[in-house]
Amino acid sequence: MATSAEIENRLRRLNERLARYIPPRETWTPADEALYKPVDLLRVPVDEAQEMQLKAIKYAFTRHYTYNQFYYEYCKMMGVSPDDLKTSDDFNKIPLIPDSIFKQHPSGKDLAYWITSIFTGDLPKVVIKGANPTFDDVINAFNEQAGMAVTYSSGTSGQHTVIPRDQKTMHAFQYGWTKMWLDIWDPTSIDHALNLIPKPTRSNLFAAKLQEVFEQLFEDHHYALDFEISADLALRAAVDHSNAAVAEQLSADGQLRKIFTIGTQWLERYEKTTDTIWILSFPALFSVFLDALEAQGKHFDFGERGVILTGGGWKTRDGKNMPHRDFRKRVEEVLGIPETRCLDSYGMSELNGGIVACPEGHYYHLPPWMKLFILDEGLKPIGYGEFGRLTFLDPLAYSYPGFVISGDEVRMFEHCPVCDRPGPVLDTVIQRVPSAEGRGCSTVLQKVLEQELEAQ
Amino acid sequence: MIEMNEQGLPSQEVSKPAELAMGPMIRKMLANPGALKKMRTMDPDEERYVRPSRPYDLPEYRQGMKHCKSSEKYLRPTRWCNPREPLVIAMAHELGAYELSDWEFAEAAFWFVKTRFTAEFMPLNSVSDSLRRGTGTCFHTNSVWIALCRAAGIKARYKTFNMMLPPSLTNAKTESGRATVNIFNTGMPEVEGEVCIDGKWVVGHVAMRPEYLACGYLPIPRFGEDAIGLTFPLTPGATIKRFESTPLWMWLVAKAITSFIPASMERANLKVLDALLRGSQVIEKAGGLEAYDRAARSKSESLHVDEIVRTMKAAMRPELVEFEA
Repeated sequence: MATSAEIENRLRRLNERLARYIPPRETWTPADEALYKPVDLLRVPVDEAQEMQLKAIKYAFTRHYTYNQFYYEYCKMMGVSPDDLKTSDDFNKIPLIPDSIFKQHPSGKDLAYWITSIFTGDLPKVVIKGANPTFDDVINAFNEQAGMAVTYSSGTSGQHTVIPRDQKTMHAFQYGWTKMWLDIWDPTSIDHALNLIPKPTRSNLFAAKLQEVFEQLFEDHHYALDFEISADLALRAAVDHSNAAVAEQLSADGQLRKIFTIGTQWLERYEKTTDTIWILSFPALFSVFLDALEAQGKHFDFGERGVILTGGGWKTRDGKNMPHRDFRKRVEEVLGIPETRCLDSYGMSELNGGIVACPEGHYYHLPPWMKLFILDEGLKPIGYGEFGRLTFLDPLAYSYPGFVISGDEVRMFEHCPVCDRPGPVLDTVIQRVPSAEGRGCSTVLQKVLEQELEAQ
Repeated sequence: MIEMNEQGLPSQEVSKPAELAMGPMIRKMLANPGALKKMRTMDPDEERYVRPSRPYDLPEYRQGMKHCKSSEKYLRPTRWCNPREPLVIAMAHELGAYELSDWEFAEAAFWFVKTRFTAEFMPLNSVSDSLRRGTGTCFHTNSVWIALCRAAGIKARYKTFNMMLPPSLTNAKTESGRATVNIFNTGMPEVEGEVCIDGKWVVGHVAMRPEYLACGYLPIPRFGEDAIGLTFPLTPGATIKRFESTPLWMWLVAKAITSFIPASMERANLKVLDALLRGSQVIEKAGGLEAYDRAARSKSESLHVDEIVRTMKAAMRPELVEFEA
């Protein structure tokens, strides 16, 4: 375990490298304070974290209430105003937005109008070329002309989740995700980094854009997926099973072989050295990569000098849940990287900052600025240890109201059952709450026909 | 929404086949032989559909059992809805016909159909056949309820509307999603029944078992409660139609679909069974049907999705976007 002096050194080095992600101190909002001020985000005492949360969430709520016409009207309808938020007991008064709202965006021209509605604050006028702009045309126009960082998810439910981040929100997310790891491993000590996730300049995928931060963080940073990934490709790939289908789609396009060749050569290059290596990937894609390495009889022994980070759905190519532990064991067998260095982060497109797994028990630890609730099926808060719908209040969402009811079913524990880091944690068993079913037999038939039409 | 009443409509005015929005799907189907083959044939290693056993006994018909013999509209036999079939009369008596009040009987018949019948995609058939199986589409199950009520001397009719599929399906960005979703949003109607009690039409949605609704954590519509707005959002601009008899073309369409793409139907039936199983676990976890329904209703009151969408539309800032040709 790193000493507090070591963590401070890590933070100093991180802040030097990511200086452009940190706003000037004099401009810090209470939400910024909660992110940028603590040295070790995983060891903020619970009472301090609660105090930070109250200030940050109250600030964020007031901002969206004041500068977002849609959210203001919604709050008025619910009869809630910033004056009602006095203590953390009042958090449950904050009007929540179901995550389906971020999926219900229209397409074409209307998508542009939708972005103007959900965005908090001022926007410059955006000119979009073409009478029938594509999904990417609209998003690119906002990103290029309005200085935004609009991204979308891969669309595992058949639809992209669109998140209208501005640069401030995106930077807070990227910095927060990286800083969350400081207590566990040192991001500034990595000699060589490989990404098995689309390159940020070649895709508006949320997972891709996160990685812009690694350009600043790592001196030697390599992308195995260096080709264009459009919204349509991502959706086609993801429509069936989480990110496992990305692998399927890439395989069909002949790209998978190229990716694996790049990955294999990269591993072989650094196995012969004593340098530290770091790999980021979707679990499903990395699992297929491990299959390919094993099929070629390739085994490595990176040991403690390797770090594997994953994020994204834990589904296999045939849509089954992939046990985390089995995955870590396979990583150890094929790459020689111990389980304590094979770590996952949990997140949603709507959420800013990482929820990171500890190396001891692999439970997901929460950022101190974020308030999470678990709701039962009737949307009433439930206690620790019970499965329910994950709901969060995220004050780092500066450009949209980050008060979201998710479609993920999880359970929360008051303390990590294994490690001594303070604050609540999420269990690793996370699944989707069923929602699109139950309406009528038509929904069933529609899904069957749609899937069959996709068959070749 | 345009609502048309019975007086303004001929008795069979439901969506015509030409309006079923199947064009894009059929074109895509014909252009993709692989998909067509999949729709027609089950793979050898695929799980097969086995119809669940009927969860009730069939009562015995006895000569002279009282039943309605009126030829008045909404009481008389209509296509695939004959209230004078012996099994229908026997089941009506089993459920309390001519012993209970009209409301009590209609409600008993409502819950019988709603809780005992399983959704199964198949061609239309007589009510007796549906009763023997205990399965059917929304047309089958509504015909059972309507026939039971007519047999008991209670006027009953069909009501159809186009439901809006959940946003996760309707906004589908894939070509296949777009090709199929409009079949349901603008084409194939959802069916409810209506019974006339003391001169007032009372609605009932019998088509979906509570377990199926629980799979999507939806409230369970009770007798007298419209599913529109509770479990089904109405397609914007949709017409609600009411009529006495199932039209002939509906039989043709159902027959054609089940004959042409039988494997699709079988897979859909399997999905229904899977959903029922998961839904029953949800109900059990909630502490039974009533506790579940209370929780589901509380949820639907807390989640203001439609209001949020409306508020968002009103707050759009079109002046900030310009489209350059």
